[in-house]
Amino acid sequence: MAMLDDFRTKEFLDQITILNEISGSKNPEALPELVDLLKNPIGDTSIDYMVVNALNAVLSCCEEEVIGGLTDDHEGYNILCIRVAGEYALKNAVPTLMSMAEAEKDPDRLMEIITSLARIGDPAALPVFRSFLDHDDPFIQSACIEALGSLLDEESIPRFKAMIEDSEAPDRFEVCDLTSWKAVDTLAGFRTEDTVGFLVEKLHHKNPMVRRIITDALVSVGPMCAPLLLDAFERGNADSRTLNANVLGFIGDRSGADGLVAAFDRGLAEDENVRYAVYEALGRIGTMKGIICLVDGLAETDELLLMAVIGGLEKHVNPGMISTLTKLLAGGDDQAGRLSKAIIASRATAIFDALYENQDVADALMDALSRSKDPEIIEEFRSILAGIGGERSEADLARLPKVASGTRQALAADDSRSMCAMHRAILTDLGFVPFVAANGEEAYELIEEGQEFDVIITDMNMPVMDGMELVVKIRNTQGMENIPIIMVTTESEVSQQDLASKTGVTAFITKPFKPDELKGKITEVTGG
Amino acid sequence: MDVELAKPFIKAAVDVLSTMAQIKPAVGRPYIKKNNVAAGDVSGMVGITGKQNGSVSLSFSKSCAVSIVKNMLGDDISDIMQDVKDAVGELTNMISGQARAGLAEKGLVFEGSTPTVVMGDGHTISHIARTPIMAIPFTTPDGDFTIEFCFE
Repeated sequence: MAMLDDFRTKEFLDQITILNEISGSKNPEALPELVDLLKNPIGDTSIDYMVVNALNAVLSCCEEEVIGGLTDDHEGYNILCIRVAGEYALKNAVPTLMSMAEAEKDPDRLMEIITSLARIGDPAALPVFRSFLDHDDPFIQSACIEALGSLLDEESIPRFKAMIEDSEAPDRFEVCDLTSWKAVDTLAGFRTEDTVGFLVEKLHHKNPMVRRIITDALVSVGPMCAPLLLDAFERGNADSRTLNANVLGFIGDRSGADGLVAAFDRGLAEDENVRYAVYEALGRIGTMKGIICLVDGLAETDELLLMAVIGGLEKHVNPGMISTLTKLLAGGDDQAGRLSKAIIASRATAIFDALYENQDVADALMDALSRSKDPEIIEEFRSILAGIGGERSEADLARLPKVASGTRQALAADDSRSMCAMHRAILTDLGFVPFVAANGEEAYELIEEGQEFDVIITDMNMPVMDGMELVVKIRNTQGMENIPIIMVTTESEVSQQDLASKTGVTAFITKPFKPDELKGKITEVTGG
Repeated sequence: MDVELAKPFIKAAVDVLSTMAQIKPAVGRPYIKKNNVAAGDVSGMVGITGKQNGSVSLSFSKSCAVSIVKNMLGDDISDIMQDVKDAVGELTNMISGQARAGLAEKGLVFEGSTPTVVMGDGHTISHIARTPIMAIPFTTPDGDFTIEFCFE
């Protein structure tokens, strides 16, 4: 090609201009000279890099030359041809790439060949991807899993399932490896009853990160999981029912709420943890049946369960529910006391606002609010009262106590809003200034901001950063090596607690618990 | 896709460290972590934008970072803190550049931000995306470091 004559002796700017022009025109005539420039580089990094780009552009129009280049002796040109074959999805390159993959020993080159074949996406290459599912290099394994997943290779489904099964082995479950992640995502991608059903069964995987990844995968699959989750709910024990109900809540599909209500009516939520999870899920989904079930839940006597019920209803305030609540609260009995306390502790400001119209009820709520020792809660309701306006609310505002902050600080991390509210109430009762966080990361941010705590309470399973990771981080933070940490868990499996003990948890408390039990534990670990 | 993106960074890290600091790191088994903080004594981080957005971080233990600086600068160390900071920033930039050049050859064009360096014993930095993070541990005779990837 005339343009490239005496290229090596040309000025830098001319060289750039020529290579740019070739990249644009993709003229195949430039190929021999460009290959020569690649194999015998000029030595100027920017020009040599532009040669590769120009060559890539020209090769995109020269399929035969690319296929020829796959077996070229020159390492750089060879790799470029492998990459170009993938980038432009050259199907005719598949047979050569397949035989190259079979013979390749170097993992880096093998990875190049596999990713190129994956990008071409020809089902003819399926046997190659399958054959490397057990390769030593986890990147090659994962690239093959991804490729088989995008080709929806049903034959590999049992292999993917086995990878997840094997990852629960006693010597492996403490780490979530790359292949478990890819296998979960790929199985979810098939979106069949078989693959999604398998993931539902594995929702209680021993590794908390795998569990989280499965939860996310099921939520992304969406409503089609609902019948499978409900079926597992029917068959499962209390732990798995709790997880199933949580996922149904995150998916937020109506069928999930209807199924949970039906299961509830058949007595499948006798266990308090399960009932708690069902109430939270129903609150998230918010169907008519679900709200009716939550209204029935107002008869619960357990403080925590009542907070879950109130937390759920808070998102769907309607006149019928308010009139029921008004009747219950006006009763003035023990249950009325529990309910007003739950409304205040779970900061149900929308419910409070709607109930405030009735003076008797408002008085009961104000009594509960005045008894709260939590300055943040009092502030929040103070602004609600200010917004309501009028003589009565002004008088109530004047009634609110000025709370002196305690000097001891405590931190609680839990992704459940009602659990956070409960911790907050317990901690203020004990005279702590409470800090709450929705996950481990938020909790750790508070620590990084320099807040000092006398005790930390954390849930085990939380999104973003779970309890175990939080504990590890805290223990590695200077000055926090010995701070008491209480972990709240519903896990009945000993393995989970073992894992958590190793990270440095001071004490455990298993849900469900009475507030006094946690108070006792906090007092015990903080030495009064 | 994620795996294809991560691999060139590992290769680049090994290349750059062996060329610039004569340290040949051994690659450990990658794992997934769900929290989005990277922990170390010195970290370099770059944001990556293109077809997918994400971030890549390299977190070095103190001993590893110091030995890299010594190998890069010899006895010519004037202010160890400043030199470690510069070196980690420079290495992160080179690794990001080399890896992105490799990806560009496959038609995967990404832009890299200027690296940010964070120092402090056991500090943490956050990745931007909310997806699982792939962590690759490396060991060297002078201490460990970890590369983390997070792509949306």
